[in-house]
Amino acid sequence: MKRSRLVQPLTISMALLVGLVLIFTLGNPGFLSQYNVTTILNAVTILLSVGLGQVCVILTGGIDLSVGSIISLVSVVLMMTVGRIGPAAYPLVLLIGLLSGLLNGLIVSKLKIPSFIATLGTQGLLVSFAYLLSAGPLTAPEGSYGVLDFVNGHFGPIQATWIISLAMLALYFVMQRFTPLGRGIIYIGANERMSYLAGLDIDRARILAFTFTGLGAAVAGIVLSATLYSGYPTMGLPYVLNSIAVVVVGGTAMTGGAGGVVNTLVGALIMGVIQNGLTVIGVDVYGQQVFLGILVIIAVALTFDRAKVAIIK
Amino acid sequence: MAEPVLELRGIEKRFPGVLALRGIDFEVRPHEILGLVGENGAGKSTLMKILVGLERPDAGEITLHGRPVVLDGPESAIRHGIGMVFQDGCMIRNLSVLDNLFLCHEDPFERFGFLSPRRMAERARAQLEVVGLRGLDPRAQMGDLSAAQRQMVEVARLLWLSELYRVENPTLILDEPTTVLQEGEVRILFSLLSELKKRASIIFISHRLEEVVQHSDRVYVLKDGEHVATMERTSPQAPVAEVPRVARLMVGHELSAEHYRESMQSEPGGEVVLRVRGLKKEGAFKDFSLDLHAGEIVGLVGLLGSGKEEVCRCLMGAVRPEGGSIEVRGRPVRFMTPKDAIAVGVGCVPIDRRNDGLATSLDVSDNINLLVLRRLLAGPFLDPRRERENADRWVRECLIKTPSLRALCGNLSGGNQQKVVIAKWLAAQVRVLILDHPTRGIDVGAKDEIYARIRTLAASGMSLLIMCDTLEEDIGLSNRLVVMKDGVVVREIPCAARQKPAPVEVVSYVV
Repeated sequence: MKRSRLVQPLTISMALLVGLVLIFTLGNPGFLSQYNVTTILNAVTILLSVGLGQVCVILTGGIDLSVGSIISLVSVVLMMTVGRIGPAAYPLVLLIGLLSGLLNGLIVSKLKIPSFIATLGTQGLLVSFAYLLSAGPLTAPEGSYGVLDFVNGHFGPIQATWIISLAMLALYFVMQRFTPLGRGIIYIGANERMSYLAGLDIDRARILAFTFTGLGAAVAGIVLSATLYSGYPTMGLPYVLNSIAVVVVGGTAMTGGAGGVVNTLVGALIMGVIQNGLTVIGVDVYGQQVFLGILVIIAVALTFDRAKVAIIK
Repeated sequence: MAEPVLELRGIEKRFPGVLALRGIDFEVRPHEILGLVGENGAGKSTLMKILVGLERPDAGEITLHGRPVVLDGPESAIRHGIGMVFQDGCMIRNLSVLDNLFLCHEDPFERFGFLSPRRMAERARAQLEVVGLRGLDPRAQMGDLSAAQRQMVEVARLLWLSELYRVENPTLILDEPTTVLQEGEVRILFSLLSELKKRASIIFISHRLEEVVQHSDRVYVLKDGEHVATMERTSPQAPVAEVPRVARLMVGHELSAEHYRESMQSEPGGEVVLRVRGLKKEGAFKDFSLDLHAGEIVGLVGLLGSGKEEVCRCLMGAVRPEGGSIEVRGRPVRFMTPKDAIAVGVGCVPIDRRNDGLATSLDVSDNINLLVLRRLLAGPFLDPRRERENADRWVRECLIKTPSLRALCGNLSGGNQQKVVIAKWLAAQVRVLILDHPTRGIDVGAKDEIYARIRTLAASGMSLLIMCDTLEEDIGLSNRLVVMKDGVVVREIPCAARQKPAPVEVVSYVV
């Protein structure tokens, strides 16, 4: 019985994805047009990057509420520096993402603070940095469009964002599936005490998880601000809920230890399809939030392993 | 013959892929202790869940005092006077004894919408006295009580509920109550049960067949979801049946007649693998010294609080000792974390399998490979083929019954889960293995396999430090016993094959 609850979500998610595509296509035949599919996949790249990051921490049984702030900070720094240092702005903002994640990881593992509280704190910290750098919106400076179009460009029919998605999938898949360190993330999520008694370096696995979360958020921030040619301190705000939605809708358990990269891909596709599809069939932004909220609650209800939580809070 | 209190006829229960119970006829008579035995997976828990309304049968009928009833939830079971004391307890630990006693049924103490704490405390004291807990403060926190006391509070609650709902002769189900108890507490439990029998019927579930045949009035045997036999006490003093006969009915075949595979016991080698000198931990134990030889099985014996658990935690690196030295194969070591102990080849199969030993939401392969991931690398990455091969090898070697390497450990039976934990340590090729109650909650068939495994490990040169569920098990398995009392080693007793000391002799040093 337990098995079915932990494994089936992927099947449920896939069915949901197919069902949604059918409904939206019936609602508006233009849904599957080449132009719209490209639009969806661009949005999916952002959702996927931040979702792949978020899933690392969720697999450990934690949560990262600072991904939105990392995206915001990245967008601001990218817009401020890309005019001056050109392509070197990319590694700079990736580093910012990695360091933010590292900071989260160190706070959670060394100070032994629940990730919920720790990242609630750092998200305030990081967004303040973004405000200190620029209180208002920034747009891409003249002459930097070439550098940013590295993200917006395409090679024949293949969009650069698709390549970014594939690269992120490969990186996170290999990390979780094929490295002992990445496997540690799943072990501590499944049973932290057992992992400790079995000699696993709990702190290292947890710090790694947060660092990869920061990296995913940074990539999402790059794609988001590069496609919009702008950056501002509230840019990443919606991506806290979005990233968690991507993870849980894909069927990864909030309690940790079950789920992963493939689930997150399906989750990102579902979210991309929903957000675009609701727009295409004429539901406004506020209506979309209602739908999204309900979806997250249903997804968690289906995947939450209640046996692992002593008291449901 | 008195009319049964509770009667089940033709009960069937099907889960996806398995018929958990088929055609079960089951009756509980007034004022009896009914022993219920069966291997893990035989259907005991399902049957009990049906009685307390947690599962609904697919077919069959339930009658209480001759009237058909539908038990569609714990609430309705309680109203009909059926209650269960679960194995792990289901009380709220950060509430008081009193709160737990009356939880959700406080209305009799209500006056004008307010609860009267004074009347509740009075009632609680009276209720605790019934179960032999005279003098326990009803305001004590549940979590501060011993396992034995918590059990009794649960029994007190069930008795109170049956009074509240005016049920004559309620049925109390106790699921493996003795596994969490010390030997002295077990005796107290049984004397209390024979007292409680005057006002209730008791269904008693245990893997310790000696207890069951000794203390039950009847024994009901389940095998693979079917009722295979019921045995009845013939004279007031005699046990219900011979233990081997019950075991045979449960398992379906003859078990090795000798206890603890004694004929396989091997002589330890000369090399001292683990040398401990003057180990101490404030408030737990002091001056603990031990030479554990290659291929030796040492049984660490003592009551709860004798310090033996803390010694083991220090030796596995989970707790830091405050003094003394540990040498592994002549090299001084210091364990800051379990990782350090594992690095020099010391492992521990913990008592709490589900929380400390396994990741039940992960599959068999992931659990077995946990300690040896670095050995399964091809270049910088894990090699799925090597992972599979390693897991497969240990599944075969340890006779783990699992549908596949990808089956979740949470779905295996207790015995097979324990084998997975042992396999994990064997795969890591540890030289010293601490076995903390290796057969707890495991049925007789799987127990026998684990005894055989312990023997072959010792014969292959592994050193084992064991703490068992019963003194007989310690004596039977060990080459040598180390007896602890109040934090110090009081005696070492040799236990060569066929020259085993009598349990009474050992007990005299323990207490």
